[in-house]
Amino acid sequence: MKATWTLLAALIRVTVRNRQGLFWTLFFPVVLMVVFSFLGNSTSHINIAVVEAPGTSSPVVSVLKKSPGFALHRMDRTRALAEVRSGQMDAALFIPNTRTGGGSSTLTLRYNNANLIAGQETVGSVTAFIAQVNVALSGRPPAYRIAAAPMAKSRASTYLDFLLPGVLALMVMQNSLFGIGSGLTRWKEKGILRRFRVTPLKPVEFLGATVLNYIAVGFATSVIIIGLATGLLHATVVLPLLALFLVLLLGMACFLAIGFIVAGVAKTQEATIPIVNLISFPMMFLSGIFFPVSSLPKTLSHIVHYFPLTYVAGALRGLMSGQLTLVSGAMRADLLGMAAWLVIAGLIAARVWRWE
Amino acid sequence: MGTCMHNAVLRLENLTKRYGSVLAVDHLNLEVPPGQIFSLLGPNGAGKTTTLEMTEGLRPPDDGHVYLGNVDVIRHPAVARLRFGVQLQTSAFFELLTVRETLELFGNLYPGPLPVSDLITRMGLEEKAGARVEALSGGQRQRLALGVALVNDPEVVFLDEPSAGLDPQARRNLWDVILGLKAEGRTVVLTTHYMDEAEVLSDRLAIMDHGRVLDAGTPRELIERHLPAAMIELDPDVAIGADPSGIPGVLSIERRGEATVLVTERLEEALVSLVSWAGREGRELRGLRTRGATLEDVFLKLTGRSLRE
Ligand SMILES: Nc1ncnc2c1ncn2[C@@H]1O[C@H](COP(=O)(O)OP(=O)(O)O)[C@@H](O)[C@H]1O
Ligand SMILES: [Mg+2]
Repeated sequence: MKATWTLLAALIRVTVRNRQGLFWTLFFPVVLMVVFSFLGNSTSHINIAVVEAPGTSSPVVSVLKKSPGFALHRMDRTRALAEVRSGQMDAALFIPNTRTGGGSSTLTLRYNNANLIAGQETVGSVTAFIAQVNVALSGRPPAYRIAAAPMAKSRASTYLDFLLPGVLALMVMQNSLFGIGSGLTRWKEKGILRRFRVTPLKPVEFLGATVLNYIAVGFATSVIIIGLATGLLHATVVLPLLALFLVLLLGMACFLAIGFIVAGVAKTQEATIPIVNLISFPMMFLSGIFFPVSSLPKTLSHIVHYFPLTYVAGALRGLMSGQLTLVSGAMRADLLGMAAWLVIAGLIAARVWRWE
Repeated sequence: MGTCMHNAVLRLENLTKRYGSVLAVDHLNLEVPPGQIFSLLGPNGAGKTTTLEMTEGLRPPDDGHVYLGNVDVIRHPAVARLRFGVQLQTSAFFELLTVRETLELFGNLYPGPLPVSDLITRMGLEEKAGARVEALSGGQRQRLALGVALVNDPEVVFLDEPSAGLDPQARRNLWDVILGLKAEGRTVVLTTHYMDEAEVLSDRLAIMDHGRVLDAGTPRELIERHLPAAMIELDPDVAIGADPSGIPGVLSIERRGEATVLVTERLEEALVSLVSWAGREGRELRGLRTRGATLEDVFLKLTGRSLRE
């Protein structure tokens, strides 16, 4: 036991001195969050290209014009489509010539979909507005009115709020997978592991210290990322510390086990890099880090649902959005999924692990 | 060989290791007496490292036993590891730890380690004590490895090619350190493919090739057993055939690179007949010199090739 702590202390020293490694562990999550927090805050109103037959002016347009949330720009159809596609306009609203008496007419809204969240926001705002116009035009008093009053400490769901749990999950994966998969393989390749094998240090003590080291790094990095996101970038998330600790721990355990499989199979550190990338890249883009899994094509999302990173990101987002707790029914699938990955990967790792 | 040492500190019995079809170590038997420097001498691929690493409990043998005193090393490696220290042929330390931290780390893995500052002084690493391993030269790394092999004040020290890659000055310093270990009463088992190193350091040595010990003993014993002979050397351009029959007393004539070597067991008789042969044939004996047999000659005789090939 004393030997484990001695080695752990040395490993943490090595990790902290590895400036390059620390940089890459922190760089990616931090840059992602900073960039997206600026992007998210830049749009103050929605730019809409209005395409209408010349000389006419629909009542819809005049009402829209009065709303501070929208900036209207009249233009022809071709230009409108081009500007929406290029992102200068958020959407183009096509207003048909006539309104056939009694029936309803369809306003076509073509919106820029480069940013999913922003796109949905545009569509939602316009739809809500048109609904209001409908009511006003009908001449009848609306059945329901909304009396809106802002809350003192309200929680705005920005993209950063969505991104933060994803970035944490991503960091947990990269740290554990690269740490064990690549770092441990390097020690194996260089002969550091064999040197310890001719000391009284037991193999489990060595592996225990290594695992604890990466877990410590994972938690320290988590604290930095959460601190930065909430303190400087004004992310508004819920932080149930114990639950987060447990989910992060389980997530790290999953990826550490997968890392051990990589370290068991690969002979050189060089060989681990494509393997680790092959494992982590699809998950990084598909597992709901940057956009919800539900927005993937159905068949794909069925598969992605079972990825370990999907479970980790899902559980963290559930906790940090305040929607779920550890005992929520919806949390059970994510926890079971991680546990299953841990057991299966752990068993495989135990089989393929080689000291040399 | 064959004789059983009752006081041997290390006994290898029937040790065997196969890699696929390669018989890397072939039913090897050895005994190492305490307090001496024992060398395994052989060319690359002879099986020295495999033998040593099986003895250290690092590689499992296919067959055979290793005893350290009366501890079965293969069955109880943990017990044995407290009593020996190891410098592996291929190993490394954490690049980002300092020399002192490295010695402290390894010392803490043992009960009752030697004081780190003593080890640093002994290895001549005082100036580098606070330097990271990544900043050490090859010779300094080698000395650190040797220091780490000593942290537990071991009874037996295993050194696999300790002087590999060192410049001549660093090798000489290393030899002093190794001789110092013996002076402290430790047993040293080392491997080398340098004849001079084996000759300077070894009390006893085993000549290995193809996974087998061809013979073992003190350097003197080996020379007397295999070549109770002397060598007469001539410049290679002296026209003398390979047939020694015209020169009574000479056993064989061999061409070895920079010299023609005449092997004899009766040096005086051979010299007299060589001189009269030269007079008869009208040859000049350019570069004539004599020397006793060396380990190199023994190795050549036992394996049929030179160590450096
Ligand atoms: N891990 C291994 N796998 C396969 N063959 C090996 C391995 N280690 C050594 N060998 C082979 O065993 C023989 C002895 O090698 P080794 O013990 O390293 O010799 P030495 O230390 O005398 O140079 C060589 O033929 C070598 O190629
Ligand atoms: Mg070797």
